[in-house]
Amino acid sequence: MAGGQALRRREWDGEAVLFNDLSGSTHLLSSTAVWLLERLAVAPADLACLAAALDAELAAQDQAQHDPDQDDGPADAPIDRAQLSDLLTHLCALHLIEPC
Amino acid sequence: MLTVSSLTPAQLRARLHGPGLDIQTGPFVNRLHSNIPHLAAGLALLYGDYPLRAAGGFADFHLDLSQPGGLRRWWRPQVRFEQDGQHPFKPLPVDQAQPFCEWMMNWCVSNRAHGYLIVHAAVVEKHGRAIVLPAPPGSGKSTLCAALVCRGWRLLSDELALVRHEDGLLVPVPRPISLKNRSIDVIRAFAPDAVFGSVVHGTMKGTVGLLRAPAASVHRAGEAVAPHAVVFPQWEADAPATLDPLPRARLFMRVADNAFNYTLLGARGFATLAGLAERSAGYAFRYSRLEQALEIFDALAGPGDAA
Amino acid sequence: MSWPDSSSASLSLLVRVLRAPRTAARLDLAGWDLLLRQAGNANLLVSLLYLLEDDGLLDAVPAAPRAHLEWARLAAASHARSVRHEVACIAAALRGLDVPLILLKGSAYAMAGLDAGRGRLFSDVDILVPRTRLDQVEAALMLSGWASTHHDPYDQHYYREWMHEIPPMVHVRRGNTIDVHHAILPETAAVRPDPDLLRAAAVPIAQCPGLSMLAPHDMFLHSAVHLFSDGEFEHGLRDLLDLHRLALQFGAEPGFWTGLVPRARVLQLGRPLYYALRYLQPILGTPVPIEVMSAAAAAGAPNLALRAVMDALFLSALQPHHPSCVGRLDAAARFALYIRGNWLRMPPFMLARHLLHKAFVSPRTDATGDQA
Repeated sequence: MAGGQALRRREWDGEAVLFNDLSGSTHLLSSTAVWLLERLAVAPADLACLAAALDAELAAQDQAQHDPDQDDGPADAPIDRAQLSDLLTHLCALHLIEPC
Repeated sequence: MLTVSSLTPAQLRARLHGPGLDIQTGPFVNRLHSNIPHLAAGLALLYGDYPLRAAGGFADFHLDLSQPGGLRRWWRPQVRFEQDGQHPFKPLPVDQAQPFCEWMMNWCVSNRAHGYLIVHAAVVEKHGRAIVLPAPPGSGKSTLCAALVCRGWRLLSDELALVRHEDGLLVPVPRPISLKNRSIDVIRAFAPDAVFGSVVHGTMKGTVGLLRAPAASVHRAGEAVAPHAVVFPQWEADAPATLDPLPRARLFMRVADNAFNYTLLGARGFATLAGLAERSAGYAFRYSRLEQALEIFDALAGPGDAA
Repeated sequence: MSWPDSSSASLSLLVRVLRAPRTAARLDLAGWDLLLRQAGNANLLVSLLYLLEDDGLLDAVPAAPRAHLEWARLAAASHARSVRHEVACIAAALRGLDVPLILLKGSAYAMAGLDAGRGRLFSDVDILVPRTRLDQVEAALMLSGWASTHHDPYDQHYYREWMHEIPPMVHVRRGNTIDVHHAILPETAAVRPDPDLLRAAAVPIAQCPGLSMLAPHDMFLHSAVHLFSDGEFEHGLRDLLDLHRLALQFGAEPGFWTGLVPRARVLQLGRPLYYALRYLQPILGTPVPIEVMSAAAAAGAPNLALRAVMDALFLSALQPHHPSCVGRLDAAARFALYIRGNWLRMPPFMLARHLLHKAFVSPRTDATGDQA
């Protein structure tokens, strides 16, 4: 993320609205996208790092929500790198992050 | 406080020609100047209950809607809007002076009053529950608003929902309700006692009729109220009245799309709108019959509190 | 119009308050009504807000007018954010070219945090680049989403061959305008301040790596020539206030006043400097040192007859244009200044052809197209 940028956001039910105070634009984003932005606000990261972290986060969420009395079938597959890359490109186009 | 009806027709025309007629609508004082007799008569009819402010004070908005002189007086006479020596809009045929005045009063607020998040929406209230009805043209918002108001709902506004930043309350700015084309006949049938100003044909919005705001709504223009629901109405032939809940993030974005100054307000607008989204239940509403629509809205208003 | 003095009733309420904000403390509600209308008309509402706030006078403003000032503050914050973002986008678009980029006027004041930038609203970003790099700059901007305007071949010729800028470019998505200049006066003008001299003296803007602004003398002189060579004075008082604030801020630095006239001579801008100093003092009360005024007169004063004409025209042109303001510019005077503005930009035979073209050939399009 660009230096000095602050993000204001509100999240409701897996969706979020986010205000970019640099561009003045407001975006409707998934919770996943917001999660990525918050990680990048702390420190820059590359695609591999982000994918691994996202995998871990989703696994942790599944764990927390898992009902032992029900068999939900196999665990979800790891994050599709191509989709993640597309999402990052999209966030870049919105002036929310920049490549470094 | 004196009202506009305390002036005789001659006195009202003299104010419009001279120092200006200062009318209070909600939190705003509008200073009106005009040399057009039928506009004076229209203001007397539609604004009789409104507070009249003394000449020579402070006015929030200054509007001059006059007929220019010269040859144009006789051939296709026009009404021109002037503000502080500028003419931001093209003139219109003089018979459209009354709706032009309404459009300009709306423009003044939406252009400047950034102390509020201003949404293009109607606002009505019953039993302390306020409902915001944002809607692009063609949704039937004004017809629905007029029907609710004719059946006892308080009118806060027909066009401009003002959300105050400091406390998120909706601030009333009750003014005549603008109805178009067939809506005029629908409401006349629905509420035979409703008072309309002159009906004007051939405007850019078609035929326009202005419905006078109920006196009770005007008297309560100082009472701000918390938002309870945001309902996006859409009239659809033969549709049964249905309310479909909207997720809050979607509600937020749809209201932002309907707000005049959301982008200008930046972070402040974001915060105010987030407050509105958090406090209100959001719905998409389809309907075709007014009576059914009113039942749904009465249910939203809930039972009245004991006095 | 008579020569105004500081007590003068011939100065409008707005000007009297700009000179001495404490004047506003004595206003009744009718006075506030008038003041805000004059200020809004002159595009100085936000400047008025900051002047009152800086002097600790804002809390004493009655609630009704105070609300309007606070509304204007919100609009100004939006504008400031928009400028920062636009400048960042421009810098990003041109980064690869390694071109020296100088921000001019309002965007320079804003990005450098100068007093003159506070509350000053403007619509276009102006940059100065070397003439030899114009094509590359234009191409890079187009790649990043800006499109040229004024497609009429005459207008294109006017800008590219005769003026000191290419036709304004508008960003297709954001809608903001950028004016790319290669000099501060047109090719066709009699006076040609050398842009290389301006570039050599340019100062980096601390908050914007890769961007510079004009040196203080040059910034003041540019503002003066922009105001006094232009043909249209809609923003006359605002531009004069810019000069006033630049003078106050830079005047506190050593060497500013002593170096001003010599620099004007080098850049051939003695005449506009003379006018700037001559009218700043009576209208806004700017403390111009007497010796600087004398030196400016020696370097740039016109003959007495011309000066009398210019006094009459400019003292009117620099008043607020609100209908309530006495002594404001009438149609004849406005026309005279319009002609003068164009005459200063091009030789007489070209001027005649240009005005003829404008009057009879070019379709009249609104500069802004704004209806609201």
